[in-house]
Amino acid sequence: MRPASDQAPTVPTVLSALDQVEPRVWKGAMPVQFLYTAGAAGERFFQTLKRKGVFVVTRCEECRLTYLPPRIYCERCFADLSETWREVAPVGKVHTHTLVHVDRQGRNAASPTLVAFVRIDGTDGGLVTRLLEIAPADVRIDMPVELVLAPKRRRRGTLDDIIGFRNRR
Amino acid sequence: MKRKPQRRVAVIGAGMSLFMRRALETGKELSYYAASQALETAGVRLKEIQAVVMATAPDAFDGVHMKGEWLLDGAGGVRKPYLRAYVGGGSGVFSIISGWTLVASGLFDLVLVVAEEKMSSCQPHPQGAFLTIFDHTIERPLGPNLLWIFSLEQHRYMATYGIRNEDIALVSVKNKRNALDHPVAQVAASLTVKDVLASEVVAWPVHRLMVSPISDGAAAIVLASEDVARRLSDKPIWVQGVGWSLDTSYWGNRDLAYPRYVERAARMAYEMAGISEPRRQIHVAEPYDPFAYKELHHLEGLQLSDKGKAPEDLARGRFERTGELPTCPSGGLMGVGNPIAAAGLMKLCELFWQLRGEAGARQVPGNPERGLAQAWGDLMQVGTVAILGVN
Repeated sequence: MRPASDQAPTVPTVLSALDQVEPRVWKGAMPVQFLYTAGAAGERFFQTLKRKGVFVVTRCEECRLTYLPPRIYCERCFADLSETWREVAPVGKVHTHTLVHVDRQGRNAASPTLVAFVRIDGTDGGLVTRLLEIAPADVRIDMPVELVLAPKRRRRGTLDDIIGFRNRR
Repeated sequence: MKRKPQRRVAVIGAGMSLFMRRALETGKELSYYAASQALETAGVRLKEIQAVVMATAPDAFDGVHMKGEWLLDGAGGVRKPYLRAYVGGGSGVFSIISGWTLVASGLFDLVLVVAEEKMSSCQPHPQGAFLTIFDHTIERPLGPNLLWIFSLEQHRYMATYGIRNEDIALVSVKNKRNALDHPVAQVAASLTVKDVLASEVVAWPVHRLMVSPISDGAAAIVLASEDVARRLSDKPIWVQGVGWSLDTSYWGNRDLAYPRYVERAARMAYEMAGISEPRRQIHVAEPYDPFAYKELHHLEGLQLSDKGKAPEDLARGRFERTGELPTCPSGGLMGVGNPIAAAGLMKLCELFWQLRGEAGARQVPGNPERGLAQAWGDLMQVGTVAILGVN
């Protein structure tokens, strides 16, 4: 048996050569795009918002839950909620908020985006949304806010109809 | 199998959504339709369900990453122990296996099992998502899709045993006709072998009408432990045996003419069910039929036909609804449709209704007492088998 050597063990030439280069790579993609539907509940939500500028919600009386976004079923008890529609005013409170400095590619965004989760009054849900017409330093938790919708003629029945929320006047 | 499980598990309810080309409903909503129907027929409230299994195939079909979690509320899994069962196309039958383990182990007494797929989301075609299931170095540069594999496999199957394409086209004829009696069916039709072979060739020898469609849909069942099943149900249908097995991921290293992984899965299930003569002891079968030849291929792997002889058995009427061993009396994937995971569980829903004598116009005669459902998938290498019976 050889004594422990103070020299590095000999590495075969081929292996050491491979070790020193970056592995070769090639590119691939999953070539798919998607067509989504809003669903039975989602379609009614967006069509009502487009037409009337209010939110529609569904309610489970047994579980005392008002769903926004609306569902056709109660996720706790599976009650059929498809006949429990009601409308609520598009107002709520800032439940939490953040100021986003970095975009999806990890780069610094030109201007930070003010984003909040707004709980809608009279519901057990809410929406992630942008906060408008306010300096980040002025936003407070539980601040009352109201919906800012696109002009009626520009609404398409999608999330983009919601421009954001602003301080309630 | 190390040891036989001691705790018996029964199916006590089943439900399905429509199978269709493009649903307005989201995958969550489709799941709710199937799951709530299964609960209703079982006489069980969601609050009594102790755990939920959701089977759904690749995320890229619905276009929702981590869609198992996303589907949670539609499957009734909110605030419950919940798991996603996933072996690709084999997921539908794997879902009952997963649910069965949760009950047979003694962990739970009432488990809801749901399966969903919304493939119409995937554009321009789900084949784009299938591309990346191939090895990125030795296969993908050729731009393969599933049709390549199926047509190569079907051709090898035909060449090995001297099978004609006419013999295989008969599967499409039988299943699409059976589906005429299924209220949720998407592609039921009354066709002839000539019609099938007149449809365009998608990849020779596979013609358009020998391929199942792209589908949206959901299916669900309720599983119960023995005591609970006897309390809740007059006609519990027992899970007598389950089995599954995966062959090598290298499709070139598999036997293309014969699905050994299906044989292994079936043997495990037969052993558990105490079945020594499957051809005599299985009264109705739902083999997996995403492509016409696959039903025949799988029947051989399941030991329900001799190797290479399933086409002859089919031609002489053995697999008709009134035949000696009715196969795919539901109409199968070729007739009812193929929302991947939901299609597999649809087969178990069909067995539940057949064994309870509740299949209506689809009912096979002779009061069947035992049925088998099988699915296949992952990287074309998994066999999943479940055997249900009236006692």
